[in-house]
Amino acid sequence: MNATIIRLTFRQLLGQKRTMLMLFFALIPIGIAILFRFAGDDEDPRQWTAQTLLGGLTVGTFLPLAALVFGTAALGTEFEDGTAPYLLSKPIPRHQVVLSKLFVAWVATASVVLVVGLVAGIIGIWGEQESGIVVGYVVAIVIGALVYNAGFIWLSIATSRALIVGLVYVFLWENIIASLFAGVRFLSIRQFTLGIAGGIMDVPERIFDPRLGFAAAVILSAVAILATIWLAIRGLRRWEIGEAG
Amino acid sequence: MSDQPNLPPPPRAPALEAVNVSRWYGNIVAVNDISFALPPGITGLLGPNGAGKSTMLHMLSGFLQPSAGEVRVFGEPVWQNEQLYRRVGLVPEREAVYPFLTGREFVEMSAELQKLPNPKDAAARAIAMVDLESAADRNAGGYSKGMKQRIKIAAALVHEPDVLLLDEPFNGADPRQRLHMMDLLRSMAAEGKTILFSSHILEEVERLAEEVLVIVAGRLAASGDFREIRKLMTDRPHTFTVRSSDNRTLAAALVSDESVYGVELVDGTLHVRTSEFAAFTMAIPNVARTAGVSILELRPTDESLESVFSYLVKR
Repeated sequence: MNATIIRLTFRQLLGQKRTMLMLFFALIPIGIAILFRFAGDDEDPRQWTAQTLLGGLTVGTFLPLAALVFGTAALGTEFEDGTAPYLLSKPIPRHQVVLSKLFVAWVATASVVLVVGLVAGIIGIWGEQESGIVVGYVVAIVIGALVYNAGFIWLSIATSRALIVGLVYVFLWENIIASLFAGVRFLSIRQFTLGIAGGIMDVPERIFDPRLGFAAAVILSAVAILATIWLAIRGLRRWEIGEAG
Repeated sequence: MSDQPNLPPPPRAPALEAVNVSRWYGNIVAVNDISFALPPGITGLLGPNGAGKSTMLHMLSGFLQPSAGEVRVFGEPVWQNEQLYRRVGLVPEREAVYPFLTGREFVEMSAELQKLPNPKDAAARAIAMVDLESAADRNAGGYSKGMKQRIKIAAALVHEPDVLLLDEPFNGADPRQRLHMMDLLRSMAAEGKTILFSSHILEEVERLAEEVLVIVAGRLAASGDFREIRKLMTDRPHTFTVRSSDNRTLAAALVSDESVYGVELVDGTLHVRTSEFAAFTMAIPNVARTAGVSILELRPTDESLESVFSYLVKR
């Protein structure tokens, strides 16, 4: 990794409006958790927290959205703004560029989603037995953030419409198609993340029952991370400037 | 002692070289089989819009893969060879800079990425070279077009590259900045650097470049010293303007010379057309002496780069 690129990318991300928007969205799961404590009397707090608050809202929606914003911005804005040649006309191996950008996107995504997951999770199961629900999700969010970001960084190199393709993947593939067809779970980062969280929790199936086992989720996550990083490095080595005249 | 005879040292590879380079996009050929080798000094890259200048520059800078042929810097292929950027500086055409960085931070970032031992000092030197010290600590996002060009140049030469590639480097610069940058590039060329810049302003190229590369419709229409190129255009007559003690007598005498193609007297000025540049310049003193006429001024009127360029483009 390269410290200069890491510093530059942090400043890039911090100055963007979409980062501010993400921080605003972060308040939503926390707000809903507070609302649940006051109004959700009929629900089992552990089940609701594991399935709806952390599984659905945080991991199912907020994590991919944050990863999409940070993952596509980390390198994608360099291409969009025309600053990529400054970075790529330096004697820096392309894998250092990809890994540095990925590191920043991962830290940004994981830290925002972790805080949200941790605070919302604690509020959600306040007064109940924790049984590894929050801890499971904390670990899962860290790994899930890395899988998503590696994928979105690769997307930002492979296509100039990374944000749109990413949105289609998250909302069409993961939310609709993966919920209709069980076989698709092997191609869903959301299912990998839920599988890791489920493997760490010590709760009955009634409370949380992921579609993937822990070992499968970890292996698939590792494969996805390595494959997309490799594709991203390969893509950046072959990257060509768009305009020609 | 070796039995082998002393061999001469291997010839030094040219700083920048294109070998049968082509680039096409689907059915469209943007650059067609171009070859050249650039010596140290300043070379201007010329061509009408869409001729393939940018495509060529992007291939030279390693940001486009040639469809055929190879681009080399000091004998090494440029494509997918990021270590070569230690010896190459690049000023892209787009005026994009990191808006949240100050000019100084931007140049220091370049120095750090070049792994220079003292990035701050190197950046300060480069900023001084482009005369931007007074604005160096302001955010580059607020710079004028000319200032952005200068800070980009500072970032490109912070590591003192042997090869400098500049795409329209004088865009947005005011006349004073333009002169300053021209002086800077001349001094770098005098140090033995190889500089290639593209420009659509012929006057800039004429004032700065020792050599030109002219690309027309994706092909290399001409390369070298443009005055020499003009002399080689034997299918197009050279025109001279002559002022003498007796233009009419001189005109009559010149008509009989074999090298003269035509003469014309317009408003008291004698215009002579010749197809043989060297033969004419050698003949005219003798013709004038024989006719008893003194030549006050002899000036080629179509030796400018603009004339050469427009001829090559129309051809």
